[in-house]
Amino acid sequence: MPFSGRTPAPQHLSCSEGPRIGHWTQDLRCGLTGVSGSHLCNQYGTSGSLPGDKKEFLQNGPDLQDFVSGDLSDKSTWAEYKGNLKREKGERLHLPPWLKTKIPMGKNYNKLKNTLRSLNLHTVCEEARCPNIGECWGGGEYATATATIMLMGDTCTRGCRFCSVKTARNPPPLDPQEPYNTAKAIAEWGLDYVVLTSVDRDDLPDGGAEHFAKTVLHLKERNPKILVECLTPDFRGDLKAVERVAVSGLDVYAHNVETVPALQRKVRDPRANFEQSVRVLKHAKEVQPGVISKTSIMLGLGETDEQIYSTMKLLREADVDCLTLGQYMQPTKRHLKVEEYITPEKFKYWEKVGNDLGFHYTASGPLVRSSYKAGEFFLKNLVEKRKTKAI
Amino acid sequence: SICGRREELKDKITVHFINRDGDKLTAKGKPGDSLLDVVVDNNLDIDGFGACEGTLACSTCHLIFEDHIFEKLDAITDEEMDMLDLAYGLTETSRLGCQICLKKSMNDMTVRVPEAVADARQSVDMSKNS
Repeated sequence: MPFSGRTPAPQHLSCSEGPRIGHWTQDLRCGLTGVSGSHLCNQYGTSGSLPGDKKEFLQNGPDLQDFVSGDLSDKSTWAEYKGNLKREKGERLHLPPWLKTKIPMGKNYNKLKNTLRSLNLHTVCEEARCPNIGECWGGGEYATATATIMLMGDTCTRGCRFCSVKTARNPPPLDPQEPYNTAKAIAEWGLDYVVLTSVDRDDLPDGGAEHFAKTVLHLKERNPKILVECLTPDFRGDLKAVERVAVSGLDVYAHNVETVPALQRKVRDPRANFEQSVRVLKHAKEVQPGVISKTSIMLGLGETDEQIYSTMKLLREADVDCLTLGQYMQPTKRHLKVEEYITPEKFKYWEKVGNDLGFHYTASGPLVRSSYKAGEFFLKNLVEKRKTKAI
Repeated sequence: SICGRREELKDKITVHFINRDGDKLTAKGKPGDSLLDVVVDNNLDIDGFGACEGTLACSTCHLIFEDHIFEKLDAITDEEMDMLDLAYGLTETSRLGCQICLKKSMNDMTVRVPEAVADARQSVDMSKNS
């Protein structure tokens, strides 16, 4: 299929209708003059100089979507995937088909992007290159757009080997308007469930806890019915800071342990560790009984099944309520390589293990992230439990 | 011009990296390039190297130098020391690669990439001890 070497201008790709290669044109308005290959603007009829059979071929042939999206709907291809899933020395694994995602585009996605920029807000979705960005921002079947707002800027004071968020020793000072602006933006969207997260700010005396707490307060003032989840740093183990956030009025306190204890040193910054993270989760519940606690583990960094199981047990013993498990994906070449791609079936197995261990819910899948469909899981679970009066 | 190119090539400094698995990786850099630049620009296969992009907020570019090279390196700053202290497997000739810039006198030097954690080949399940 002829595809000219010219890269089309970005605005063509964000047409909600999607570009069609089949329509040839010498349309001068788009500014792509003299393009001898296919033209991606979908507005005008075919060129008059083509022979009839070629015209038909272009009309009925593949369009850009076929080239761009992987074969996601056909699950039978996953089982047939013969590629290597476990890394050998010196190699870099190829992405298995169940991890391929569509390029984000569409009205909801663009609207969200514009709102965020105009209010000078950052999302971890963009900064950490989340593969679900198209799905979450586009909204699910109930058009519930979810975004995880990143407070305190886009620059972190730690450089963990799994994370591509920018790093600096002394990031720019906090924006004192941010708590107010965040609450305003979320009110504009009419979100029912919002996740607030942040970078590590070891340069601040309280690690940013006060800033976090103010944001939650503003949010709840504007909309008392909104459900708020905070995914916090470890505040270097400062339990007073944890308390400040935990009693601010949030509904879910989340903090990620990221990996099994044996791999903490390899994967996370040395200032972070498993015990410290578990202490954070435990303390949140001590100072705010009734709050729901949540954590997340990445799989595929070289951990064994025994290690995963014993970690899950340790978390349940620490009374952590919700657990999410997802596939680690290497964000840039300066980060850790993927050691193994865990199959969707194996993820389902861990979901069952989590349920059997007694977590309120276990979200487990290759593309699951800490706040992926957080609202849906939480609300669905809460509603069901209330029906059976289990809470 | 061709003469200019020849001059450029003459100025290149060769560095040998002994990787964690014992493999020797050889790469070239220009004077003034940091060792992190050399690793990234030459796409060297060193896992998780330079996570903070050279901002002295991690210790993943930890390298071990030969004695005679180490002695001639520019003095360490407090900021580098803070991060180097957190590095696994610290030695007396350790420095952070992002802070060491190539000089002509470093041509053909060998640096060692230390283990990032306790040897993964150990079969002890650390989770019981943590």
